[in-house]
Amino acid sequence: MTLFVLYVLALLDGLLCGARVAMGRSAVIAKHRYYVRAQLRGAIGAQIISTISLAALILAELWSTHREALHADLEAAAGRMLSVFVPYAALVVGNILLRLIPSTDVRSATSVMMLGPLTALRPAVMIIGVFYGIWSTALWETRLLGLFVLALMLGLEFVLNARAARAQAREIDGLT
Amino acid sequence: MLAAWNPAQPEITDLIIQHDPKTLERLPVRKQDVMAVFAGFKNQKALRALNALPDHAGIFDNRVIDRMLISTHWEMQRLAEEFYHGHRVWDLLSRVVATIRAGGYQGKLRVIDVGCGIGYTARWLAAHIPLEAHGIEVVGMDLNSTLIREASRLAAAEHLNCHFLQGDAFSRETSGGVYLSTGVIHHFRSEALREFLRRHEQPETFAFLHYDFQPSFLAPFGSWFFHYLRMRTAIAKHDGVLSAVRAHSADTLVDAARSAVPGFASGIYGAKIWKTPAPRVFHTLLGIRRPLLDEFRRQLGIRLARLGVLR
Repeated sequence: MTLFVLYVLALLDGLLCGARVAMGRSAVIAKHRYYVRAQLRGAIGAQIISTISLAALILAELWSTHREALHADLEAAAGRMLSVFVPYAALVVGNILLRLIPSTDVRSATSVMMLGPLTALRPAVMIIGVFYGIWSTALWETRLLGLFVLALMLGLEFVLNARAARAQAREIDGLT
Repeated sequence: MLAAWNPAQPEITDLIIQHDPKTLERLPVRKQDVMAVFAGFKNQKALRALNALPDHAGIFDNRVIDRMLISTHWEMQRLAEEFYHGHRVWDLLSRVVATIRAGGYQGKLRVIDVGCGIGYTARWLAAHIPLEAHGIEVVGMDLNSTLIREASRLAAAEHLNCHFLQGDAFSRETSGGVYLSTGVIHHFRSEALREFLRRHEQPETFAFLHYDFQPSFLAPFGSWFFHYLRMRTAIAKHDGVLSAVRAHSADTLVDAARSAVPGFASGIYGAKIWKTPAPRVFHTLLGIRRPLLDEFRRQLGIRLARLGVLR
């Protein structure tokens, strides 16, 4: 269950990363399809990362000489990570839901005062969450896996951003 | 950082693109000349951003400048989207239009977006409002040919009922019933601000709505943080923050409007969030023909609370 919740959060993070890197890179007015595609790319990226992470986890367990202990250790680490990631995700989702209120002031305020700073905090939250998760683990495999997943998650926005920047540069090159 | 916040200096984009005021032809700009301006202000941030721009024999490469300008304006549109700027403009403009109609004018009403850039406001209005039904024609005007081309391309791509022209928004051929702008008026300083406002005094013009940053002690910090998070190009970050620093106070705007265009009742609209002391990021310099004043107040309804002293 813990791993499943982490997987859902990773998908949500990928979705939002996809939207974030697409923002400011299209000047049409009707952007619904543009953002859906961008979010889909982010979610696919997160799915790839999740699959790689799961494969690494399964391999680690298969090759481990103390499989049950590793499994328990991983579960415990993932549980601690959730105690950081879930409140953060709740804040983000809560602010997105606030935008359903049909007030330009409320919507602008959530964007400027909450979603902006929360976006800036994302890398720090990722690092704090993973380190908090692996800090008190007994096994080096758990630490290594945690750091591996952290690198993948931090790399996701970087890769999506580089891809979006290339697409934007190509489009603007065609205009000038 | 503080050197980049000196309001006495111009924005980078004010200098790296120059047009002949008569022919509107693009003029070559010497990199060294622009660098010298910011060196005078010891603005290392601007100098670094300028240094990164390529040149040929000391003259800025226009193609690179244009690319940078387009990407910057795409980013700026994102800010306008986040602030729901289109909704805000229509919220006020619709009441101005209703006032003009109630005042007896039933002809085609031309709304001119002055310094429209890539025309976000005009395109938003065309995309969301049945302009034909309201008898409104929306025209975006800018001196910059690159931005006008891009605005026209974007409007055509979405089949939007608005058009864009390069040139002087206040000329006889293009004069408007309502003038509006976003983030433009702080570019006019002292006497130039009064001269800009004086040009609204045309027989066809009923009103003007100029949206710009609202200065406050916290505005530069907020703007810095927001631009740091949201903007990607160094010049956009630099100019965005400087815009907030250079923004005119409500008193400066209102004093300039009242002295430059006495035929309009002028004031500030939307300075505070609801009835709190918290300032909105943007406020609006509003001017409306004096005979329309009472009707305008009636049209505002509950929004009258957002209106400052209009006289």
